[in-house]
Amino acid sequence: MSSFKRKTLSGRATLPQGTRLSPFSTSTVITSTGIPSLDDILGGGLPLSCSLAVLAPDHHSAYGELVQKYFVAQGLASGQKVCIIHDEPLRFAREGIWMAGSTLSTPAQASTAEDVDDEKASQHDDKIKIAWRYEQMKKFQTTVSSNSLNDDFCIAFDLTCRIPTAALDAARQSAQLIPIDVDISEDGTAVIEQIEELLSNDTNAHAVRVCIPALGSPHWGDMQPPTVLTLLHSLRRLLHRYPNACASLSLAPHMCTDTWGGPGWVQKVGWLTDAAISMSAFGADPSLSSLFPSHHGIVQILTLPAPHTILPASDKYSTLRGLSSAAGTMGGSGENNLAFKCMRKRLIFETLHLDLEGGVTERRTTPASSAMALDAGMAHETIPATILATEGRKGSLATVEVEFEHSKDVGSDGPTRAMADITADDSLVPAKPKKPKKKVAFRSERPDLYDF
Amino acid sequence: MQFPAPDLVSSRRLLLITDQLPAPADFLLHRFLHLHLKQSKTAKCIVLAVSESLERWKSVASKAQMTSPQNTNVAHSEFFQFIDVFDQHPPSQNRGEGHENKISLKCIYDLLSVKLSDSRTNGQIPLVILDDITSLEWFGVSLLDLSRFVRALRTLCVKMDAALVVRHHIITPPEPDALLRHLLQLCTYHIEVRPLASGRSGAVSGEICVHLGPSMKDTNEHVISRTSALQYRLTESSAVFFDKGTSTGVL
Repeated sequence: MSSFKRKTLSGRATLPQGTRLSPFSTSTVITSTGIPSLDDILGGGLPLSCSLAVLAPDHHSAYGELVQKYFVAQGLASGQKVCIIHDEPLRFAREGIWMAGSTLSTPAQASTAEDVDDEKASQHDDKIKIAWRYEQMKKFQTTVSSNSLNDDFCIAFDLTCRIPTAALDAARQSAQLIPIDVDISEDGTAVIEQIEELLSNDTNAHAVRVCIPALGSPHWGDMQPPTVLTLLHSLRRLLHRYPNACASLSLAPHMCTDTWGGPGWVQKVGWLTDAAISMSAFGADPSLSSLFPSHHGIVQILTLPAPHTILPASDKYSTLRGLSSAAGTMGGSGENNLAFKCMRKRLIFETLHLDLEGGVTERRTTPASSAMALDAGMAHETIPATILATEGRKGSLATVEVEFEHSKDVGSDGPTRAMADITADDSLVPAKPKKPKKKVAFRSERPDLYDF
Repeated sequence: MQFPAPDLVSSRRLLLITDQLPAPADFLLHRFLHLHLKQSKTAKCIVLAVSESLERWKSVASKAQMTSPQNTNVAHSEFFQFIDVFDQHPPSQNRGEGHENKISLKCIYDLLSVKLSDSRTNGQIPLVILDDITSLEWFGVSLLDLSRFVRALRTLCVKMDAALVVRHHIITPPEPDALLRHLLQLCTYHIEVRPLASGRSGAVSGEICVHLGPSMKDTNEHVISRTSALQYRLTESSAVFFDKGTSTGVL
């Protein structure tokens, strides 16, 4: 991509390994998170002296830790110092990922499922007749992939490859990998002191990555919201003081929502870190996963890093967010919705678009066969959850009872019951089956006639 | 469109700036600082910082072409002073029992009064910017301490003929929290920076409204209502302001 041209180092001290100057602002040095699409969302990479918080509120998956694994692997592979703060840091490091082709499994194996799909899709595309005026346009891309421009900036990792023990041992020997244990008896300040000691002893030649894969997991003890916020803030101040370091942390799943930290909790985390994203997986909600079958969750951007400018680099340079084309001249369109999916070999962040079936080619008046009558079901899923959440703090909030006036319909029977009876079970009320409506689609027996 | 109007920041006023996470108001603070320093060569500016670093203030100032001689060494310039709220400890604090990062509001107040009285002979209005009083509340400083601190700051600035700008984050948009209610009682003007309801956009980053504080006489000076809010778009070091519907894409 042309926007990531490497700038010549003009009279500046050589950059640490694995970093480069941000194309947006020459005073910012950025480094890769290991995931090219996440780098794009952040505006080229994570700037040094910035902290990144990844919130993954889904209890049943570990996307936050996955992002941290990429972070650690990228740091080790590009020769930077990596510090892992975990209750068992070496175990976390041993489960890390690595580049393809470095293990015994041959990289040129039979292609994986998604590669086969990609091939089929590209073949299919060739058969579509593209209107002549659009033939020159590039294919519609939903994500960015790492280009071969700067091989050492962002390395392609393979989720199926585990880090070889030889590389791990070598990193430990050379003090490239520094594990820090979290003891249940200490509180957050001890961790900050240890990081500070590490950073002050370090020479400025190497960039340092601080990784906290599971902040708030049981080994950290019983953390209260002010403690967590103070920790985030102290970490940020530390990074301001030692600007050749950057940090990436991932909060424990139960701490990623407002139900734990009180109203506005997620916003507080966003204010106290330089960059924050929230990856809400579809795992718990079947309606969302059927609406977006090819993605695993939605990404919400809370904060973007802008360490030396007012405008975050991402606003101008992110192709995924799509604001750059709109800024200034042509007038603004909104930014793209973002989602992520975890494939067998990699984790990618993509733009989220409606499926073909919801698009403009077919005017649909029946619901698709795959989409069940989910509206009543969806209401059921979400309403009991919010009731239960407020129930937990019964003492502090007034209990509110809402009653629907017209409670005779089948559709609203469910919500009324759920509202009135606090201890309602979560079973789905079967909705009245809808009559299939007529489907209108534009098809012609003579495709040549309407070939435009 | 010029924002702020030149006499919005004037002596003895408390300007409360509230913002939300999708539309942060740091650009406004930087803008006030730049305008104040540009206004006269000897104008004094003190920043009490909780979240942003000195590095950022300096680099944004340099990008906004504030490279007049007094700004080349901004950290030691007598006209721009940066006080990190977390670096002030009372000298008699027993290090054994307290945390390193414990905030002492009394210390900050004393330091500020010393600095402001130094500049009294100047004849220029000093500008005091308190970046982010909300974080102090989040770290556990009690609401009582904070409201007393803000009241003390306000009276200090009134005594010293200084202008005070306080930034507050709103995290539960429709409902004002307790600290906001205290601040609203004290302020002269309430500048509200809000995101667009439709989310981020390339042409408009957010909008600004100005409301009167409770102590002001019935005047419509500087007031910008929500319906005719001033919209802005962030640039690298500042922002471009325009009325609703007159952004570059439309005209």
